Amino acid sequence: MDPHREAHVSKVVVITSGKGGVGKTTTSANIATGIAQQGKKTVAIDFDVGLRNLDLVMGCERRVVYDFVNVIRNEAKLQQALIRDKRVDSLYILPASQTRDKDALDPEGVGRIIEELKQMGFEYIICDSPAGIEKGAQMAMYFADEAIVVTNPEVSSVRDSDRVLGLLAAKTSRAEMGGPAIRTHLLLTRYSPLMVKRGEMLSVGDVLELLGIPLLGVIPESKAVLQSSNKGTPAILDETTDVAQAYLDVVFRYLGQERQHRFIEEEKRSFLGRLFG
Amino acid sequence: MTSPPAAALPSSGPTAGKAASRRPAFDLKGMMASLTVLRLRSTDLALIERQLRVKIAQLPHLFLDAPVLIDLGALTDGAADLSFSGLVGALKSCKLVPVAVANLPDGLRSAVTAAGLAVWRPPTTPGRTRRDGDGDPSETLPAESSPTQSVVPARPPSETVPGSTVASALPRSSHAGPMVVTQAVRGGQIVYAQNNDLVVLAPVNSGAQVIADGHVHIYAPLRGRAVAGAQGLPGARIFCQKLEAELVAISGAYIMAEEIPAKMRGKAVQIFLENGECQIAAL
Repeated sequence: MDPHREAHVSKVVVITSGKGGVGKTTTSANIATGIAQQGKKTVAIDFDVGLRNLDLVMGCERRVVYDFVNVIRNEAKLQQALIRDKRVDSLYILPASQTRDKDALDPEGVGRIIEELKQMGFEYIICDSPAGIEKGAQMAMYFADEAIVVTNPEVSSVRDSDRVLGLLAAKTSRAEMGGPAIRTHLLLTRYSPLMVKRGEMLSVGDVLELLGIPLLGVIPESKAVLQSSNKGTPAILDETTDVAQAYLDVVFRYLGQERQHRFIEEEKRSFLGRLFG
Repeated sequence: MTSPPAAALPSSGPTAGKAASRRPAFDLKGMMASLTVLRLRSTDLALIERQLRVKIAQLPHLFLDAPVLIDLGALTDGAADLSFSGLVGALKSCKLVPVAVANLPDGLRSAVTAAGLAVWRPPTTPGRTRRDGDGDPSETLPAESSPTQSVVPARPPSETVPGSTVASALPRSSHAGPMVVTQAVRGGQIVYAQNNDLVVLAPVNSGAQVIADGHVHIYAPLRGRAVAGAQGLPGARIFCQKLEAELVAISGAYIMAEEIPAKMRGKAVQIFLENGECQIAAL
């Protein structure tokens, strides 16, 4: 049923991209929410220390007392810093600190917390990486078992993702210990079939050819993303939108179900077709 | 400053033992040595030292106590006003060890030897002239060893480059057979097959560099940079299944992306040296 999971094996998943603004935090919030909705105990960790966005997108910013860095520095217990989501029972958020910088993260501290989360029975530990390839991003990917590489269909984003894939193959615990390679998945976000058709965007095929990793899903460009971020409600919770549908597909696909890729082709139905369809 | 090690001493054949008595106190050998060539384009010592320090800061371990051959062949206004003792001092202060001067103009020999430097004579092997970055036809030395400044990728792999660990994990000995890379070489990664051929079975992506002292084979698209004969080997070739490269170089001569003819783009090609210039031919 679920090839990703044996009994209570924790999986550390980094959501990363290299480039900023491509939708890492949105993706982290939606995938964590979606997985948790399937009854799996899930935590989303905000590695973007100094900026702190994930709690906003997930609508729990007013409940942040202690943060990730407090726990690393032993200023608070992990249980004190974890925020339980109000909408989905098995979902927790570990927020970033806004007052520190990324130097506050160190491999020992991060490793200790991830180990502790595993002991607490978390099945999915979602690490929301900051942009760039510097320390914060490297800390977010260091302990990963799997990576979801978020890419926009444009050249600079693809190039940065390629760079990040190189780091995932070299600068992670698995790579350094000689373990099995990190499983990588491509998530293409802000995709607009119309712009692809006009030649203003790279197509899914172009990106797949350049990066050469399996496609987890395509998220269409949509205003719903911005609206849901502002509301602090992950888009996946409003199933009427195409973005929610796309993220639901991604979650089910990630959990091992077969789902046909959607949102790649332009909507072909005419006005009349829509009336009668 | 040219950064790659240069095969500065094309073998003149071992001469050891020819005049040996029963118990030789030493062996005298001609050998292939790895030297960094510092080709001067200015006689301004302060400028040289300043730029050198910047270069060294990028790859400090590569240059620490490295022997350096000073090449005067590119000095347009002559080397007469160059202070050799000052130059030696500047290089030593950068933790480099200047050993000899190449392309020495007439009349400066005593100044060079007075500064404790050897005079480097170009080997007279025929058929080794090749194109220089500046198209300087008078260049005779070092025969295979003066990579053009633009051929940045012709660097040994460096631990300072993130994500370049692919190279260090792979065999380097010439006895180990060619280095084979099966996973994609991604932007920012460098793979260097030292004293060896390199076979890559996955794409070399934009921003990546694959370098070999021998041939480079890529059975996938080449979108980044490829360098064959990195230490100077005019017979080295690059083979790739789909040419979309940013740069290809053989033994110091190179072609940039925009110089690649449109009809060769995206094709399976080989790249080789002919009359000192890179040629691209369909496979």
